[in-house]
Amino acid sequence: MKIRTEADLISVRQAGLQKLQPGKPRIAVGLATCGIAVGGNRVYERLREIIGKEGLDITLVKTGCIGYCKEEPLVNITLPGNPLVILHKVTEADAEEIIKQVRKGKVPAKKAQCRVPAWDHVTGCTIEYGKGFPKIPLYEKVPFFKGQKKVILRNAGLINPEDIDEYIAVGGYAAAHRALTGMGPDAILSEVEKSGLRGRGGAGFPTGQKWRITRDEKADKKYIICNADEGDPGAYMNRNEMESDPHMLIEGMIIGAYAMGAEDGLIYIRAEYPLAIERLKIAIAQAREYGILGKDIFGTGFSFDIGIAKGAGAFVCGESTALVASIEGRTGRPHPRPPRLTDIGGGLFGYPTDLNNVETWCNVPVIITNGSGWYAKIGSKGNTGTKVFSLVGKVDRVGLVEVPLGTTLGTIVSEIGNGGANNKRVKAVQTGGPSGGCIPARLFDTPVDYESLNKAGSIMGSGGIVVMDEDTDMVDIARYFINFATGESCGKCVPCREGLKHTLLLLNRIMAKKGTKKDLETLALLSDTIVATSLCGLGQTAPNPVLTTLAYFKEEYDALVKP
Amino acid sequence: MMTENRSVAGAPEKQVTVIINGKKYLAGEGEILLGVAVREKIPIPHLCYESSLDPYGACRLCMVSVAKHGRQEMTTSCTLRATEGLELVTDTPEIVKHRNILFELYLAEAPKSEIIKAMAARYGVTKTRFLKKIDTTDSLGNKCVLCGLCVRACNEIMGAGAIGFVNRGPYTVVNTPYAEPTKDCYGCAACAKVCPTNAVEFEDRGSERVMTSWSGTKVPLARCDCCGGYYAPKALAISTLAHITPSLREEIAALCPVCRGKRIARDEILAGTGGAGHHG
Repeated sequence: MKIRTEADLISVRQAGLQKLQPGKPRIAVGLATCGIAVGGNRVYERLREIIGKEGLDITLVKTGCIGYCKEEPLVNITLPGNPLVILHKVTEADAEEIIKQVRKGKVPAKKAQCRVPAWDHVTGCTIEYGKGFPKIPLYEKVPFFKGQKKVILRNAGLINPEDIDEYIAVGGYAAAHRALTGMGPDAILSEVEKSGLRGRGGAGFPTGQKWRITRDEKADKKYIICNADEGDPGAYMNRNEMESDPHMLIEGMIIGAYAMGAEDGLIYIRAEYPLAIERLKIAIAQAREYGILGKDIFGTGFSFDIGIAKGAGAFVCGESTALVASIEGRTGRPHPRPPRLTDIGGGLFGYPTDLNNVETWCNVPVIITNGSGWYAKIGSKGNTGTKVFSLVGKVDRVGLVEVPLGTTLGTIVSEIGNGGANNKRVKAVQTGGPSGGCIPARLFDTPVDYESLNKAGSIMGSGGIVVMDEDTDMVDIARYFINFATGESCGKCVPCREGLKHTLLLLNRIMAKKGTKKDLETLALLSDTIVATSLCGLGQTAPNPVLTTLAYFKEEYDALVKP
Repeated sequence: MMTENRSVAGAPEKQVTVIINGKKYLAGEGEILLGVAVREKIPIPHLCYESSLDPYGACRLCMVSVAKHGRQEMTTSCTLRATEGLELVTDTPEIVKHRNILFELYLAEAPKSEIIKAMAARYGVTKTRFLKKIDTTDSLGNKCVLCGLCVRACNEIMGAGAIGFVNRGPYTVVNTPYAEPTKDCYGCAACAKVCPTNAVEFEDRGSERVMTSWSGTKVPLARCDCCGGYYAPKALAISTLAHITPSLREEIAALCPVCRGKRIARDEILAGTGGAGHHG
């Protein structure tokens, strides 16, 4: 069936809602890579076995991840007329008990973490599950969820990412339909510009402006690319977005393609994300089936399709020019800009190309559905919208956290993350991965926005937040990130290739207590030169972990060196 | 692909004035600033620049300071294009500071290169604080600075693609695929010609040219029908002869350039034309 009219979309939505609330018990197991890693698949298989053996009338589905990594595997249960209940730390041994309770119209109380009487899917769709189970805490009372605002992760962990009907049920593809049938490219561009959306890959370039530049470039062909080469250590926002809600990305790309006049889209995704690739493939096939991708989308005459290009495991290929080189089959090495990707001659196969991060694309549908005014009210001035962060390291509540931009580091680490794991004192956080810097606890009132993090010597990056506690050796942290960046340097320019290598050698010497004060001076001088003279963003930012730890934790270096 | 000099693309070249270190110079609009500096003999150190290739920006030595949006910005002059009134300075204290560190990095990376030593010394850098890389198995004699000119000449000018970068980051080296002799090499030695540190080595041994730096790749040489000497890589001689117009007379096509010259001279004397000339 091809979806053309709004009525078509509504009929699919009805079918999808039937799947979400099938009028019988529905059990959904959180099966993103994270859930699978802690045994989610075994829980799913055991449940399937029991349901099959006893011939029970229970729907069992896979979902993505709601983000509370610490409590995984997560399972949610919908009993007709009752709230959706999230179970945590579920093992296959719990499967019998779960089924037993569900058959009685109950949920296993001991495993229940919280209940959701109604869920706002933001895109104009609120699903009423029901009242009941008053003893189970409400979702919004759970400290980990309380401070969050789910816009990008609105569907994650609740819908089946392998079923387009469920995405449509919660308001999916309504934005694309409206954009293609009721708005012109200009209106879309202006909405995205007015929303204030900035690139979520780290640099924070205004998305609308980039789109306009691409649109205005005169060429017979244009490409749009989604950068899914997420590679910062400890960062997995994009992975979860693609594994939990792949259609959101596809919808964002369709809207962008229409606004920019591109007929070809590519998702450049690292091969280390096999599940995300699989789910994207399923999603793309389903969208084609419905006529949402391919020729004559929604019967509008506009054609657009998405292909998948897999990266071969090079961090530097997240850099725009290296990414294009990689797709074209050349070595993933950056070249000086200009020409930029958006220029004729600079993009993929020489055509003007717009490149946006996964999360940037994911923001688009909700901007179109709810309007730029609604979106611009979230976050702070100049930093609108929400941002997903992966809160990891020595923090108590590890997980994916979505908050409005401008939320302070303290709120994220202390309130949502509950401070250090095992009651240790938190010393610092590293934001922005190997390109970012370490921000000490005394600066935790820093709002998380592009400018404030830069001022603190770090960057927003793609959204990794690594927490360090009192036991963390900051020199060792700097060494860890420099080791990473050295291995991932493409080797083209000398400051990055040789400079980082010697930075690592110096840090090794200092860690081995063989360093001198002079080495510390050299370390700082060398770092400055790498920042000032490197060819691409990798080298220009790679010394940040050294520079910030030297600025904020100099005493730890001093304690290691001879005078 | 961008061309080095826009005038080549057909459009009439517009002249603009650029200001380097306070002095005015004429340049073609869009001309690479480093090219202007080379022409005007303004010293800017560089290793990876070659006027017949696209801007590359890898060696980072040609940093200059440009006035942009009211403030000075450091950028590589090999990627900077001339516009009217463009003003740049070649030796600010900042540039000198960073350039000196880069020279130290080069001295550590290619400790056996006399050219690097001399170049660094010209800018007052004679020692390096960094650990020197000495690899006794390096077929480039610890002289390679990975500027990429050999790889680019081989790929982009010759279209041979016999060599490339292997590994990445500090482990990067230039070599043939799998460090094995390659059939893709013409033996043209353009790689050696463009190498700024004379790191690429090859040797003609009898009927073969041995590319010692490239995994011992051997390329057969063409033999002169007249003197019996070997004068050029065979495949290259054949493909070059096939592409020149008007083509060579058959009786001189298989001769080395010296014998060819002699034969033409002899023929002309015999013909008594006094220089009216055969098409050679």
